Amino acid sequence: MAPIEAQSETRPEPPAQRFGSNAIAGAGIGLRSRHYEDILTTAPEIPWFEALTENYLGGGSPLANLQSIRERYPLTLHGVGMSIGSSDALNEMYLTKLKALVQRIEPAWVSDHLAWISAEHRYVHDLLPLPYTEESLQHVAERIRRAQDFLGRRLLIENPSSYLSFRHDEITEWEFLGALTDIADCELLFDVNNAYVCATNRGIDPLHYIDSLPADRVREIHLAGYEEHHGYLFDTHGYRVQPPVWALFRAAVKKFGPVPTLIEWDTDIPGLDVLLGEAGKAQAVLDAVA
Amino acid sequence: MISLAELQALFREAVFETGAQQPATRALSRHVNATAGLSSMQHLQIYQRAVMSTLERALEQIYPVCLQLVGDEFFGGMARIFARRYPSRSPDLADYGAEFAEFISAFKPAEDLPYLADVARLEWAWHGAFNAPDEPPMDPAALTAVPAEDIRRIVFRLPASASLLQSRYPVERIWQVNQPDWIGAQHVDLGSGGLNMLVWRKDHVMRIDVIDDAAWALLNLIERGATMAELTEIAELDQLLPGCVQNGWIGGFRVIHGE
Repeated sequence: MAPIEAQSETRPEPPAQRFGSNAIAGAGIGLRSRHYEDILTTAPEIPWFEALTENYLGGGSPLANLQSIRERYPLTLHGVGMSIGSSDALNEMYLTKLKALVQRIEPAWVSDHLAWISAEHRYVHDLLPLPYTEESLQHVAERIRRAQDFLGRRLLIENPSSYLSFRHDEITEWEFLGALTDIADCELLFDVNNAYVCATNRGIDPLHYIDSLPADRVREIHLAGYEEHHGYLFDTHGYRVQPPVWALFRAAVKKFGPVPTLIEWDTDIPGLDVLLGEAGKAQAVLDAVA
Repeated sequence: MISLAELQALFREAVFETGAQQPATRALSRHVNATAGLSSMQHLQIYQRAVMSTLERALEQIYPVCLQLVGDEFFGGMARIFARRYPSRSPDLADYGAEFAEFISAFKPAEDLPYLADVARLEWAWHGAFNAPDEPPMDPAALTAVPAEDIRRIVFRLPASASLLQSRYPVERIWQVNQPDWIGAQHVDLGSGGLNMLVWRKDHVMRIDVIDDAAWALLNLIERGATMAELTEIAELDQLLPGCVQNGWIGGFRVIHGE
């Protein structure tokens, strides 16, 4: 693999802060274009928003809205395009655009998924699963390190939803994630819904997942709603958070502490009030433990 | 053991297959665990459906008027054939679907709708303008600063958001009457003739400007990188050019040296 840029030993200096603090705490919600106007006119009481990276790699009104919201709230950036698990070379153009966006809006965190979306430079635009082998571990860790060097900051890597496992898996997903944080020096975004979906689809106790992750690496938590299909759970992000996911969230907060938590809702997006209500419930769980 | 690169190449092929009996799906399923509820093939089919549905939804969002014109079922069929024929080359889903108009124009089942490909071209131009980088409008005063001997070396350019389009059909009207906020008759007389358009964004306002043949000819030359010396062959340039600048149809200019 060719280096994506001349590697330097020291990470670049962070740019001067133009916004207020970018630190996040408490329960935030995913930022969706249909809510821009509501947010900017009603200024809801919510501690932070998470923006989908790929919606802001261009310019125009999406980016202008994001900047206006960033002037009032801390933000995180959450992407699906890094393809960090792919065998292709890291996509320089994508990382360059991402870096420009990061400098522009100064997010608290930048995250993407433990998954891949491309092979032979053709993109499927869906998060596909990795085999959990030593080969994958070294490969993904190396790419995370190089992406982090390029961006000049640590990434959060999210546990994916997956609907299959490979026969040649050598370790579990949580062992893989734990080892990854050590080797790549990255942080974790723990998606409770994804962990529940994966565990249920594979017949595993989801509490094992929580117990085995390195607590000091978990910087953010995601909550979302799944859908029940015949024989498996599917992660649609199109529903309220389901009761078993709330229960698992409480266990996660006990283990990891009151980590900043996000309500994700990507399809059939309801009004802002519904999302704020869900965030309120998450906040109550965080407060009970804090 | 299959290598990561081989596994991913096989997986990418498999998600574009349908059903269980296709070669990549069969080969890949040998590496996938079955569970109590699902066979290894069924696990892969979850991904086949998810990938196709993501790509279909992406095209629906970029091409809402085409979707409206042909209906869900026909559009879905086109989207699935398109997805198999035109692999995405970018991690950004907003780049997906650039070739959809070209695909439609050669798509036999759509030949009864000869204007459909041009509507798709218009929607792609709209999508591109919406996501284009921001840029300040050209400052006409900067032109007066160009020394007289360099004027013939000026090369204008269109705004970064702009696409020039031409159609034999009234696609701008077709587009308008299929907007969600359109009130009034939806009838379009297909015989009412074609038009030239510039699709672009003025600050954050989206524009579809219908332009006359003279402006079209000028903007076309500009798009091809013509110098001012070449533009002078156009009739009434001294009125046409300032008009185009004033409308915002010209994004900037540079002076080329060293001929």
